[in-house]
Amino acid sequence: MNIVMDVFNWLIAAGPTVLLPVIITIIGMIFGLRIDKAFKSGLTLGIGFAGIKLILDFMTTNVGPAAKAMVERTGAHLTALDVGWGSIAAVTWASPIIAILIFAILAVNIVLLIIKRTHTLDVDIWNYHHMAIVGVMVYFVTKNIALGVGSSIVMALVTFKLADWSQPMTEKFFGMPGVSLPTVSALSSLVIAWPLNWLLDRIPFMRRNKFSIRDAQKYLGFFGDSMIMGLLIGMAIGFFAGYNLMKIMQLGVSMAAVLVLIPKMTSLFMEGLMPISDSAQKWSEKRFKGRKLFIGLDAAVVVGNADVITTALIIIPLTILMALVLPGNQVLPFADLAVVPFRVALVVALTNGNLLKNIIIGLVVTASLLWCGTSTAPVLTEIAKSVGIKLGANSLYISSFAATSMIQSFAVYFAFTWHPLISIPVLLVIFAGVWYFFDGIKHVNAAMDAQNQKSAHA
Amino acid sequence: MAAHILVACGNGIATSTVVASKIKSFLAEKGVDVETTQTKLMEVPGKVENYDLLVTTGQFEGQTHGVPYIHGLPLLTGVGAQDTLNKIYETVKDK
Repeated sequence: MNIVMDVFNWLIAAGPTVLLPVIITIIGMIFGLRIDKAFKSGLTLGIGFAGIKLILDFMTTNVGPAAKAMVERTGAHLTALDVGWGSIAAVTWASPIIAILIFAILAVNIVLLIIKRTHTLDVDIWNYHHMAIVGVMVYFVTKNIALGVGSSIVMALVTFKLADWSQPMTEKFFGMPGVSLPTVSALSSLVIAWPLNWLLDRIPFMRRNKFSIRDAQKYLGFFGDSMIMGLLIGMAIGFFAGYNLMKIMQLGVSMAAVLVLIPKMTSLFMEGLMPISDSAQKWSEKRFKGRKLFIGLDAAVVVGNADVITTALIIIPLTILMALVLPGNQVLPFADLAVVPFRVALVVALTNGNLLKNIIIGLVVTASLLWCGTSTAPVLTEIAKSVGIKLGANSLYISSFAATSMIQSFAVYFAFTWHPLISIPVLLVIFAGVWYFFDGIKHVNAAMDAQNQKSAHA
Repeated sequence: MAAHILVACGNGIATSTVVASKIKSFLAEKGVDVETTQTKLMEVPGKVENYDLLVTTGQFEGQTHGVPYIHGLPLLTGVGAQDTLNKIYETVKDK
């Protein structure tokens, strides 16, 4: 046992670029990959992490001093730099307990499917990082593996159920039968959107208005282009930092480079994990043969919708404004402005494309992202440092619109770290109530439930 | 000359990686040389002109400037994947 711990500690000391290839090779082989394929997957992830590390280093050495100067000159207290969900995902996959978390999340899905408490089959292993990061953070704060794993299990439970409950409306609005979206970055907004939409519907004007902006994409489209967005934000930060023109332009191009390069590095993670997802899919297809299931897909498949893009293009500039005026906010929005469409996609489906409601709900969601992001930035920063990401000497925090900036993840993280003995039961009771409301009263998946009943008697 | 395929999804990372690699390995077996580029759906209208084919994983309602467009969702769900791959093959084989 001691030897195992020694080896493990040695791997952790070696850092994620060594740990990732080893851990992923092992995970891959458990999923039935040949050793050479599994090893190549692992090595690809290790390379992806090295790439993310490079970019983050480049980003913080460039924007760090500028952000600091901007804070000093303008008094805008934006000290938590949004480094983007991709960077956070890389940190998540580099955690020493990631293997346990991945299997725990997968186990939750399989068990729920077997006892017929979910219809969503989610073997999109890559997107498990949203559920795993909560476990990583809880473990980091409490040093308690059981609490860490427990929090990821609750995240998984909530995610699969939200995917089930939102399936009918995604099918109707986006026209995708048989598919559900267990992607936390899209689902989490519903925690706010469902009650808020109900409230707004009490106002006849809200329910009936038919505002629409035609051609928003034509006029606001440049905001949606990562390189332009990076350039503009970088130049704005340089301007407010009191830089001269040359340095303003340098910062602009550097930030454009960051926004274009982070996704390229992140896609290495996706590429490396694909063979593992593939074999998980084959295994589960065999196991659940003949049963009708919702196939869980990344919410990336719906964000191309014109209403979603329009709403996002309006929310993106408002997010930057809000960051400046929202009391208590310290998050400086940057890399994750690119994924605002994910945060609003299901809001749009919920309101059936009611633009005014989309914007109101979208802004409330944005406020929650900024506040929750501010409050958990210190922990996230410590975790990033612990896996060897250098953040310069600018005493800058990192944050994002992912991880515990999202209300669902924040609630679970908070419950598991505040007073676990009180707050975990409270969270579970609330969730059970919501579960009863959707499955017991509203019967949102009635057709699928009936099919399960039939096959149970057959 | 290799055919150039633009593969787009919500963030240009996740589902587009899956679809792009499935297209590449299928066409490689058929002996067709392709290069794929991944991008965000929001950036498609500005880029698509320079490609022989556009494949998206989700709904796409924007302008393609006459570039052929194939819906790639079946490659994610597996339902109808073979038909979609064949359609892609037919479109790019002569490029």
